[in-house]
Amino acid sequence: MASVYIPVQNSEEEVRVVLDQLPRDASDILDILKAEQAPLDLWLIIAREYFKQGKIDQFRQILEEGSSSDIDEYYADVKYERIAILNALGAYYSYLGKTETKHKEKEDFFIMATQYYNKASRIDMHEPTTWVGKGQLLLAKGEIDNAFQAFTIGLGNSDNVPALLGQASVEFYRGRFSESLQLYKRVLQVHPGCPAAVRLGIGLCRYKLGQLDKARQAFDRVLQANPDNVEALVALGIMDLQANDSLGMRRGMERMQQAFEIYPYCASALNYLANHFFFTGQHFLVEQLTETALAVSTHGPTKSHSFYNLARSYHSKGDYEKAGMYYMAAIKETNNKPQEFVFPYFGLGQVQLKLGELKGSVSNFEKVLEVYPDNCETLKALGHLYTQLGKTEKALEYMRKATKLDPRDAQAFVGLGELLISSDTGAALDAFKMARTLMKKGGQEVPIEVLNDIGALHFEKEEFESALDNFKEALGDGIWISFLDEKEKLEETGVSVQGYKDTGIFHRLIENGHSVDVPWNKVTTLFNMARLLEQLHKTETATFLYRLILFKYPGYIDAYLRLAASARAQNNLPLAIELVNEALKVDDKNPNALSLLGELELKNDDWVKAKETLRAANDATDGKDSYAILSLGNWNYFAAMRNEKRNPKLEATHLEKAKELYTKVLTQHSSNMYAANGSGIILAEKGQFDIAKDIFTQVQEAASGSVFLQMPDVWVNLAHVYFAQGNFALAVKMYQNCLRKFFYNTDSQILLYLARTHYEAEHWQECKKTLLRAIHLTPSNYTFRFDLGAVMQKSSSSTLQKKKRTADEVRSTVTEAENAVRVFTQLSAASDLHVHGFDSKKIQTHVQYCTHLLEGAKVHREAAEREELQNRQRLEVARQAALAEEARRKAEEHRKYQLEKRKQEDELRRLKQEEEKIQRIKEQWKSNTHGSHKRKERAEDDDGEGRPSERKRKKGGKRRKKDKSSRARHYEDDDEEAATMDEVEDEDANTNYNREEENQEAEEPVDDDDAHDLLAAAGLEDPDADDEVPASVARRRRALSSSDEEGELMEGHPNSSPQKENSPGRQEESNVEEEDDANLNDEE
Amino acid sequence: MKLAGLKSIENAHEDSVWAAAWVPATEDRPSLLLTGSLDETVKLWRADELDLVRTNTGHSLGVAAVAAHPSGIIAASSSLDSFVRVFDVDTNATIAVLESPPSEVWGMQFEPMGTVLAVAGGSSASVKLWDTASWRILSTLSIPRPEAPKPSDKTSSKKFVLSVAWSPNGKRLACGSMDGTICVFDVERSKLLHQLEGHNMPVRSLVFSPVDPRVLFSGSDDGHVNMHDAEGKTLVGSMSGHTSWVLSVDASPDGGAIATGSSDRTVRLWDLKMRAAVQTMSNHNDQVWSVAFRPPGGTGVRAGRLASVSDDKSVSLYDYS
Repeated sequence: MASVYIPVQNSEEEVRVVLDQLPRDASDILDILKAEQAPLDLWLIIAREYFKQGKIDQFRQILEEGSSSDIDEYYADVKYERIAILNALGAYYSYLGKTETKHKEKEDFFIMATQYYNKASRIDMHEPTTWVGKGQLLLAKGEIDNAFQAFTIGLGNSDNVPALLGQASVEFYRGRFSESLQLYKRVLQVHPGCPAAVRLGIGLCRYKLGQLDKARQAFDRVLQANPDNVEALVALGIMDLQANDSLGMRRGMERMQQAFEIYPYCASALNYLANHFFFTGQHFLVEQLTETALAVSTHGPTKSHSFYNLARSYHSKGDYEKAGMYYMAAIKETNNKPQEFVFPYFGLGQVQLKLGELKGSVSNFEKVLEVYPDNCETLKALGHLYTQLGKTEKALEYMRKATKLDPRDAQAFVGLGELLISSDTGAALDAFKMARTLMKKGGQEVPIEVLNDIGALHFEKEEFESALDNFKEALGDGIWISFLDEKEKLEETGVSVQGYKDTGIFHRLIENGHSVDVPWNKVTTLFNMARLLEQLHKTETATFLYRLILFKYPGYIDAYLRLAASARAQNNLPLAIELVNEALKVDDKNPNALSLLGELELKNDDWVKAKETLRAANDATDGKDSYAILSLGNWNYFAAMRNEKRNPKLEATHLEKAKELYTKVLTQHSSNMYAANGSGIILAEKGQFDIAKDIFTQVQEAASGSVFLQMPDVWVNLAHVYFAQGNFALAVKMYQNCLRKFFYNTDSQILLYLARTHYEAEHWQECKKTLLRAIHLTPSNYTFRFDLGAVMQKSSSSTLQKKKRTADEVRSTVTEAENAVRVFTQLSAASDLHVHGFDSKKIQTHVQYCTHLLEGAKVHREAAEREELQNRQRLEVARQAALAEEARRKAEEHRKYQLEKRKQEDELRRLKQEEEKIQRIKEQWKSNTHGSHKRKERAEDDDGEGRPSERKRKKGGKRRKKDKSSRARHYEDDDEEAATMDEVEDEDANTNYNREEENQEAEEPVDDDDAHDLLAAAGLEDPDADDEVPASVARRRRALSSSDEEGELMEGHPNSSPQKENSPGRQEESNVEEEDDANLNDEE
Repeated sequence: MKLAGLKSIENAHEDSVWAAAWVPATEDRPSLLLTGSLDETVKLWRADELDLVRTNTGHSLGVAAVAAHPSGIIAASSSLDSFVRVFDVDTNATIAVLESPPSEVWGMQFEPMGTVLAVAGGSSASVKLWDTASWRILSTLSIPRPEAPKPSDKTSSKKFVLSVAWSPNGKRLACGSMDGTICVFDVERSKLLHQLEGHNMPVRSLVFSPVDPRVLFSGSDDGHVNMHDAEGKTLVGSMSGHTSWVLSVDASPDGGAIATGSSDRTVRLWDLKMRAAVQTMSNHNDQVWSVAFRPPGGTGVRAGRLASVSDDKSVSLYDYS
């Protein structure tokens, strides 16, 4: 039993004080110490004993008493002990200061400690222990350089172990681990039996220097010396954990637990334990451990780690607010240096993403990226964030990088695909496909969203088969399969749009043992599938699917709208309107439904209602929905063009309003093709054809390539512009292409435009054929018939007007005129039935005129025929003359030939004679026969000369004939012209009429009446009577007023300014498509 | 059930071919194909080589419809100028020229017994029945007009009769109109029985099933072929697949299939058991205005034949089996 002996003053006796039986009240001991004037080292021993027993108050009481001024006086010579007492107090307060967390108290403790050390220094400036103490104090205060100085002074030239240790720890703090290691080694040399702490220092240095094995040796040595050394246990535990294998993990955790049992307040051990429990999911333990760790640690990184653990725990529990707070605390503990501890940034980024603080989230992820530029998770997270922030470029960059860094990361490809959907569908499709392949390879189930997106993209690229396959795969099993595979007969279940309210079919299906379930995540795909079937014209199946959706999800507005669109496509407007109203029952502010309703009302000719509905649609979207604005713009445009009376003021207002609305859309979305098209129309309407043409051409280019962007209007508009600029050939081509490309040649209105272009180009036959086609397509549209009559009338009159024409031409003209008469007569007869809106009087005039024309033509025909006869006779004469000539020529030839022949014969005879002679001579002279050959050749030459001259003569004959005939025709023409030309010309001038009604620039539909009057004037065959003109004007006025009274009449001018009228109408349809497009991609 | 292309004549006419009908075989010749075109001619062709037998002229403004008498001796052709010309098939002698102004002339069909020729009368909102002996109008079957036509309605949805079809027993006559309604008449009593709903766009072609007189098929601009119960006034089924207007529909003599011609340039064969398109012929490159199955009969002619004519000026013949 350890005890000290206090010598009793002035005697040999001593008082024995058993150290573990120190009195509870320190005053008892103090009294003895004071009374016996015990040496100061005893005071210190007793104080230390109190400290060891945890009796801090007594410890302090003794030391404070031992350092009081009385003692100073009394023990003035005992320097060392006095210093020791002061230093002990200084060390004590340093410790208090170090452990104190409250700032003010901490300061106070440090001040106390400083005071004691200073007092000690005053006793002896050079006492090394004081300096070492000071060094520790400074170290605790964080003044590392000053601490180092203090240690150096304390060290002096000796091997003061505490000073050396101080220096070592300072070096360690400075991160100069090898220097620190040197110092520790020196301590060990100087004092081989030093405490385990030194070896711990060596171990830590080695660990930091990366000499892991040696570090482990050092820590093991510490544990051998002191099995309860927590630091060594923790250090070894960390090293085991970092070994990253299951064995190491387990051993590491065992060590941590051991450390925790020995000393439950070691922050590192707590952190690691917490970390472990986080992964095992014991959140309660995590929180307890980390909270303890936080309470006991002041060390920044450790605290940061603790906060991080805590945050992570809350994060995984979904308490994002708290998690965010703790992540921030963790970041704060690292002094906002992401390099030191980056995880909390990542966590915070995630939490902020969840909480919708996108900007903060971005900056945190960016910080993670600074440290780990190739971290895929971070890249992906940032990609998503930038997408949400609308910075697509940046998002794409990150996503691309992520996919490049890890080409097997399916999620990254999905992200990339989603990003590309809006910009590059092809690339998006590739990315999604890649993701699908990766997932399938990895044995993962491909999410329905990915398959849906792939399907939708195929759909958009018009690859319907692939789209169907993907949608099918996405949908998996369900009632739809039996319908898609046509196992179930739709007809038997009786599906139709009309019966949309009847849920009986579904109940019947259920009764028959089918399941009609539609999981919520499959609705969108099912809808897309139905859209696809619609596109493939499997309307019944599509209708069934829409109805199935509505049966299960009665709030699915889009399904109502598609059913309505389907009804509209079949021209069942009442049903379509009913369906839209169903949709509006679900949401009376749904802009899509309102827009569709407006369009339907417009089609139903409910102008005012339509405008109100479109306004409502616009209001419902706060004027931000382009479609609603566009619709209003179109409404205004129609309104400008619609009014038969064409109030110019009203027209201008409506046009201006339309323009304003189109422009508004364009400012919101500069690439809105429909708005651009609308603006183009307005420009064209105002005669600025060149700009309009540019716009239309651009829109046309932009609109090509997607199944959802069908913009035939722009083709029509472009053709209109070509037409207006007189480029008929191009206009014709454009109309034809448009008809073929978009309408399977079924649009009679475009045929009408085409006919009109032919008319202006004076291609009568093409014009007529085109109109006949139009009539055949739309037999009930009498405008075509009227136009047909007019064309034939015009064509015949223009033929008659021609200077040169054949009897055939005139004959066909007569037929044409006859047909014209018939067409007009029929129209006139039909007008009694009120089946069309033409003025019977007007038609009557046409009939009269055509009849007149016919009579004239008949005369012409007779004349032509007579002329033809004469021509024929003349031809006959000429032919006979030619024959005679020929005969004469032949005779001549013959005569010549005979002559020649005779000559030749003579020659021959002579030759023979000569030959004989020569023969004889030859026989006599034995010479050759060359001479005769030469002569033969000469004879042939003579023959050749004869022919060309004959040919020439033939030619001359022909020319003469021609001259004769043409002269004759001239003569005839002159005759006729004298008789009828004036009249015909006048007529022609006046027949420049009804086609004008289609001409957009042509002022009004009044034109027709105008023409009618002029025609009447022509019909009167008194073109010279000037006084007739005012009368016709009067009549025209009358016609006008009568047209005001009878609305019916106005039906006669459906073509008035047909130019672009219907184009925006179609545009709306396409726009609906566009909406659907949006719908398709709405999967997110 | 299958179609196989046999022969196709490009430029069979100088312009769009709009109408086709088979003239039944007579004792001294097999059946012939009759086609009418915008080029104002009517042509007769001999199967299977599609040899041109004759070209009839005399129409103006394009031939819109042709029809053949069940005897195979006479036939009728009509054009946009609203004349119907009835002629002797073998001699081309004109038998009659029919006209009933102001009524236009659209679809035509001879009654199965051959005593009556029904002519769709366009805007007269009626079907004219002509006696084939006297060539006088027997009666006019009028369809009801809507009470209050919309003044603004400029074109299509008026009562405008486009197409006619006789039931195989000659008791019923159906007519289709521009607004999509189909009227069924009791011919004996000249009485409108009822209207069949289902289409809202022009019904350009109608045909009764040759095996079930209750079943009527209709093709419409809405792209659908509807199957009606003509007696029960119900819509039995609807078949979609064409991507544009259905211009023509005809039923196979065996009653197992129908063929359709469409603006989408295709000819489709529909299996009535499956109620689905089993084949799509895309040999034409413009609207297919008419399809016609050859009626059975004649010497040694068993094989089924289908003819189609198109805006692309061609006439095609298929084997149907």
